[in-house]
Amino acid sequence: MQVPKGYAGYALIIELTKKEATIEPLERFLADYDIDPRLWLGGDGFITKILWKDFSSPIDPLGPENEIIIATGPWTATAAPQSGRAMLGCISPETGGFGSGSFGWFFPATLKYAGFDVVIVKGRSETPCYVFIDDKRIAFREASHLWGKETGETVKAIREELAERYEGEVRVLSTSVAGENLVRYAVPCADGTSCPGRTGAGAVMGSKNLKAVAVRGTGEIAIDDPRGLLESSYSAVKRFFENEPFLKVWQEGGASTALGTTGSWALNGSMLAENRNAADFPHLKNVGCLNCHNPCYHWLQIKEGKHAGLRQLGGHMTFMTAVLRNLEIQDFGDWIYFERLMQELGLDPASFSVSLSWAVDLFEKGILTEKDTDGLTLRRGDADLVARIAQRVAHREGSFAGLLADGIAEAGRKIGRGSEGMAPHVKGKPSLLKDPKIQALIWSLGALTSPRGGDWLRLHNVYELAFVPEKTDNYPKFIDRTCEELYEQTVRLVDIPEELKKKIFGDPPKIDMVWVKSTKDKALFAAWTEDFVSLFNSLVTCMFGAATQFLMVGFGPTTYSEILRKITGWDMPYEELMEVGERVFNLQRLFNYRLKGWDSAQDTWGDKRAYEPARMGIFKGNPVPWDEVLQDYYAVRGWSPRGIPTRAKLSRLKLQTMIGELEIPD
Amino acid sequence: MEEEKVIVYDPVYCSGCMRCMTACSTYNNGATSLSKSRLQIVRHEGHAISPLTEEDDLIFDVLTCQQCNQPACVYFCPTLSIKKNNETGCVTINHDTCVGCRMCMVSCPFGAISYDGDRRALIKCELCGGDPQCVRFCPTGALKFLPKKEAHLPKRNHLARNLIQSRTRAIRDAATREGEHAGS
Repeated sequence: MQVPKGYAGYALIIELTKKEATIEPLERFLADYDIDPRLWLGGDGFITKILWKDFSSPIDPLGPENEIIIATGPWTATAAPQSGRAMLGCISPETGGFGSGSFGWFFPATLKYAGFDVVIVKGRSETPCYVFIDDKRIAFREASHLWGKETGETVKAIREELAERYEGEVRVLSTSVAGENLVRYAVPCADGTSCPGRTGAGAVMGSKNLKAVAVRGTGEIAIDDPRGLLESSYSAVKRFFENEPFLKVWQEGGASTALGTTGSWALNGSMLAENRNAADFPHLKNVGCLNCHNPCYHWLQIKEGKHAGLRQLGGHMTFMTAVLRNLEIQDFGDWIYFERLMQELGLDPASFSVSLSWAVDLFEKGILTEKDTDGLTLRRGDADLVARIAQRVAHREGSFAGLLADGIAEAGRKIGRGSEGMAPHVKGKPSLLKDPKIQALIWSLGALTSPRGGDWLRLHNVYELAFVPEKTDNYPKFIDRTCEELYEQTVRLVDIPEELKKKIFGDPPKIDMVWVKSTKDKALFAAWTEDFVSLFNSLVTCMFGAATQFLMVGFGPTTYSEILRKITGWDMPYEELMEVGERVFNLQRLFNYRLKGWDSAQDTWGDKRAYEPARMGIFKGNPVPWDEVLQDYYAVRGWSPRGIPTRAKLSRLKLQTMIGELEIPD
Repeated sequence: MEEEKVIVYDPVYCSGCMRCMTACSTYNNGATSLSKSRLQIVRHEGHAISPLTEEDDLIFDVLTCQQCNQPACVYFCPTLSIKKNNETGCVTINHDTCVGCRMCMVSCPFGAISYDGDRRALIKCELCGGDPQCVRFCPTGALKFLPKKEAHLPKRNHLARNLIQSRTRAIRDAATREGEHAGS
């Protein structure tokens, strides 16, 4: 198998126990792992295939046998739009199953300019160390003096030690105190800016005594048709600017405005919009990862209040929804401080805030008392308390912090007394949706079936959330058009073949309240979006090109196909690319089934209140027919009623060789 | 006669995405890199290297050929391989006669000339033959290709806006103070 242009050409395998680094030509590496690059592309595809080969039975995710895999793709570091991304994967310490997350800023591109498409870190160093990838020279460096340092200080110290010749030459992916203390949802952070969240990989780094990976890359990436690539990128971005309905509000006000526009979501409640308008929240400018035309980082400064002067590059929605929805913190200064704090401590904001919110529930119900919380009175709406608990969790100070640090599922098992049935998680990964019943089916399906558990980002579809009964249409205030007009444009632009479009949205395709409230063919749309997300995570490019505001009117597989042809010379039509996404998603499912025995029994809500009748939203008064919904979904996927990919499905996806000894339905 | 035009950078609009640099290297080298871009965005990422309790700036700026009227590189080149086009104002290297001595690199006050080790050639911005790709690909309009006689306008406009704002504030504050005085 031949590796085309667009790849850097090498893989790096780091063995921390022996302090050995092996550089392999990518072709040989891929042959060893039986990876045909055209079937898997890179990123999440490579990670899934590598984990598949290296782990067939459960391991201790914090033991030396776990691996940190960083994989770029053919898209990364080229002149294609939003080429700053890579995926990071490992066995998740929170779930014990598949784990991967996307991250960006400039580490991924720099790694590729250094010559590497894939880096695997194995083993465990005796003492704290960090690895410096200086183009093709690899050095192991002592890091005892960095142990205990938070993110910003770590990045600064490493850049100084490595004597970068200009600022930003050396890029640093580091773990912080939460990772060192093996908090199971600790995340690494690239240059204090971009984190592969929800992986727990920060704790895996901590368990390996690996403080950081630093990289300097001065090389270049060969392109099959460089001028053609530029033209395709140019026209893709031009189309994006012409079509993206939320572009202006996003650029002028930042991600927090997006919460404003979606203020009518059942998810958030309209208070967000009011909150945003009342807040003094200077948004200085938008800042992006490599080649981003739609930057999601907002350079912010808080003007007044106790956090006056605080600056942050962020303002991201997950942090805000997490802290607002779960902890009821209303002040913008506190939101931004929370985001900064999470990055500095290396904590996953979703897992942390959901766990804490759940603990508050237990406290209010008397299941936890001050004896269990090290004397703390748990309550919502107290930002200082949240910050104090975050510090304690990251340092594992006290038994309550230790409980939260072990993850929500494990904490539930330890506490008992009915607490488990109130813990909002799927497969052990806390779920940001506090109450999936009030929401839409597609979004909820995303959380139920995500191979990494608990969140909807492997589906990324909010089509049902813009329309909410009993709420007024907020959109004209922000984008000069009504919800109906927005959806008319969306259905026209979304990159789905006409036939499939008719199946999903009716004939002629249309989104209205009838569509929102129905369950018919929602599973089909859910499966399509999951394949699509797996595709762009394998290329690797950013979700904000495909799906700003998540309506997916940005880049689609057609654009990917054109640009990928210019990068690699491969002529991969729409269907072939979508099949890559489907293949990756199916193997992740199969991986969890082989490793952990996960099937339909794990596609369930930890919080059993999800099975009660809904109080509002599209299922008001009735329980959501979760079983029915899931069976629909399995059928669309070509999986058995137990949720296992069938032999026929696996053969069609060229995965029949994976079956081996596995018990697979026909 | 063609108008003399130059690349103008406006830091206020720059999002730091370096799309200018990937476009430059891809267009001119046929391969993508940041190190071999003729135009270099320099950055200070204060947020990445400061602890929670300290605040720092996030700043971008640009280093590239200014297409000088009196180009030091032209005067220092011992083989007369660098020429300034009298019509377009563009300064270009003739690679057929260049001996690679790097005197141009040494003499350039902007660090805008570098050496491409793979191609064994000195490289500098030559405005992509009149259609600079960095400007074309800049998604925020931070890079502009303007007639040299208008190159000051973006900066002047920002300064004017700041000046007017601070004047307005000062006048308003003075009026408030007088009002308070009159009231007391």
